[in-house]
Amino acid sequence: MNYSSGELNILVVEDHIGDYILIEDYLTDEHLYVKLNRAVTFKEAASKLNSETHFDLILLDLSLPDVDNNEDLVRNMVTLSRNVPIIVLTGFANKTFGVKTLSLGISDYLLKDELNGPQLAKSIFYSLERKKIDIKLSESERKYKQLFDASPLPMWVLDRHSLMFLNVNTAAIELYGYSEEEFLKMSIKELWTEDMKEHIEATWLQNYNDSFGITVKHYKKNGDIINLEIKSNPIEFDGKEARVTQAKNITAQLAVEKALVASEKRFKALVQDASDIIMILDFDGNLSYVSPSSSQMVGILDSEMLQNNFFYYIHEQDVASVKAHLLMLHDEKRIQIPSYRIKTTSGKWRYIETILTNLTEDDTVNGIVANSRDITEFIKQEKKLIASLQRYDIVAKATSDTITDYDFLNDKMYYNEGIESVFGYKKDEIINTGAWWNDKLHPEDSERVRRYSKEVRKSRTSNIHIEYRFKCADGSYKYVLDKSYLITDKEGNTTRIIGAMQDISEIQNYIQTIEDHNSRLKDIAWTQSHVVRAPLARIMGLIDLLQNYPEIEEQSQLLEHIIHSAKEMDEIIRSITNKTENVTISPQ
Amino acid sequence: MLKVLIIDDDDIVALVQGKLLQNCGITKDPLKFKYANDALNYLNSASVEHLYLLLLDINMPIMNGWQFLEEIEKMKVKDNIYVFMVTSSIDYNDKEKARKYSKIINFIEKPITSKNCEQLKELPLLKPFFPQPN
Repeated sequence: MNYSSGELNILVVEDHIGDYILIEDYLTDEHLYVKLNRAVTFKEAASKLNSETHFDLILLDLSLPDVDNNEDLVRNMVTLSRNVPIIVLTGFANKTFGVKTLSLGISDYLLKDELNGPQLAKSIFYSLERKKIDIKLSESERKYKQLFDASPLPMWVLDRHSLMFLNVNTAAIELYGYSEEEFLKMSIKELWTEDMKEHIEATWLQNYNDSFGITVKHYKKNGDIINLEIKSNPIEFDGKEARVTQAKNITAQLAVEKALVASEKRFKALVQDASDIIMILDFDGNLSYVSPSSSQMVGILDSEMLQNNFFYYIHEQDVASVKAHLLMLHDEKRIQIPSYRIKTTSGKWRYIETILTNLTEDDTVNGIVANSRDITEFIKQEKKLIASLQRYDIVAKATSDTITDYDFLNDKMYYNEGIESVFGYKKDEIINTGAWWNDKLHPEDSERVRRYSKEVRKSRTSNIHIEYRFKCADGSYKYVLDKSYLITDKEGNTTRIIGAMQDISEIQNYIQTIEDHNSRLKDIAWTQSHVVRAPLARIMGLIDLLQNYPEIEEQSQLLEHIIHSAKEMDEIIRSITNKTENVTISPQ
Repeated sequence: MLKVLIIDDDDIVALVQGKLLQNCGITKDPLKFKYANDALNYLNSASVEHLYLLLLDINMPIMNGWQFLEEIEKMKVKDNIYVFMVTSSIDYNDKEKARKYSKIINFIEKPITSKNCEQLKELPLLKPFFPQPN
């Protein structure tokens, strides 16, 4: 009998030369390609096993001169052999010990007394083959285990009846957050969410000994809920009836799908329920899509609208402009068509404004997207506004006042022509800010005006009424009566101030002149009254004297004094009249 | 003895006042001063045995009535002096100012009349100089 792999290298550990020769004879008879290597002691055997030499098999005699305990010998040899099969040869028929050596890792146990060539050869052949299969088996087990442990998908093994965890892989530990120890004390039922419990349990019981797949929801250790796609197969595991389960976490995938659906819904709502009309057309005006809002805006169903060309609905005076704008899309991505009129079912026209976006290159659209807004109300308001503005302009021109319009929030001040006709400022000299206006206030007035306007805003009254001096372009000042009106928002904050600056310089100068004259006249009257009174007092004194003492001496002299004083008074009064006449009223 | 001084730059006023004082029996010999300075000189050398009644004009050249009053305060006869302010002014301020001077016992707007003289004689301070005929 030949061993297929060629020459066998066998270590024979045998101190008895007779037995060795016998073994050699048996083997020579049975195997052509055998190379024997003899060790007489355990020590020698150990050294040979530690050498470079590779042995395919060891034949071990238990009675060696340097060994007392057979069991120790067997153990040591198994360790030294490194998976090389060992066949024990012994003289004693100790069956118990023989069985024990098998459990210690020995391949076979032969009695020397019963030994013959074929038996030895058969034992060697079996030992070699069994070893080979053993190695293959443990290799495949190792590979299988690796597959389980290293799988990127979470996997676990459950007891088929109790559903207790028997094994979990790293991916499962990472996903759920439980340690292996924790898992092995748990049943998978503890992971099931309440809403899914019934469904999972039913599926499990239906397929108790079969494979099944199911989508489930599990709790993680931190309480988070995850969605999983599960495949479970029945297996034997360590002699137990079990099932192995592979799971795929689809939580993120579900979230994305959900978001996608929501976004699609939102988009649909935007297009279909918006008050704007959205149309898709080509450069010739052929419509491929009209949003349902068409019935709201123009009273035509979207399906009806599709039956005509886009230009069909447009007012004949506006068609040319719309077409021209449409053609501009050849060069530009986005164009806004200014207001144009579109036909409605009631025969009336509505003003719309459209934004065109060229998406002909986009496969999902394949056309020009026209987004149109109804601006009829806006146009009406605008027309009213223009009329009102024109009226305002005429009024502003007709008045000699300077009209101011101050945009409080943006600090912008606008003037009518009065700023030039009254104050002499040319358009290019004016800076449209509040600061420019403030700068033109007379330095003596600016603080008062500032305080006043602050007070007005604070008190939330709407009228300003104040006088101040305002600088002209030539540097002189004009007296101004400012009557302004404050426009406020809902909260009562000032947003705009409309005012009229009336030039009251003439009146003011006139008043000033009159006041000057008054004070001069008062002055004159005051001083002159003294001068007048002196001779008058004299005359009165003289008369009193003459009246009370009729016998008084030198009466003629006293009378002379009266006449003299009267003349003096007359002269004084004439002089006063002259002085007053010199004070003529004329503006300074 | 009561001495009466008329201090006024207006000759006619001084004449009228002098005649009035003589005729109503206040003094036989009123002393007239055209310039306030002359009156000061007189008073500086005046005897403390007499009482001096001054009819003082306010508006005078060189030294006016108010300045004159300040000068009097420096004199040794100051306690013997009583002043009648006489003015053609009807200025309220002058009247107010006059209240501040204790020397001023009366403020008369020109002209002084015989009636003023009779009232003057009835003043408690001056009454002793004018014995009533029984």
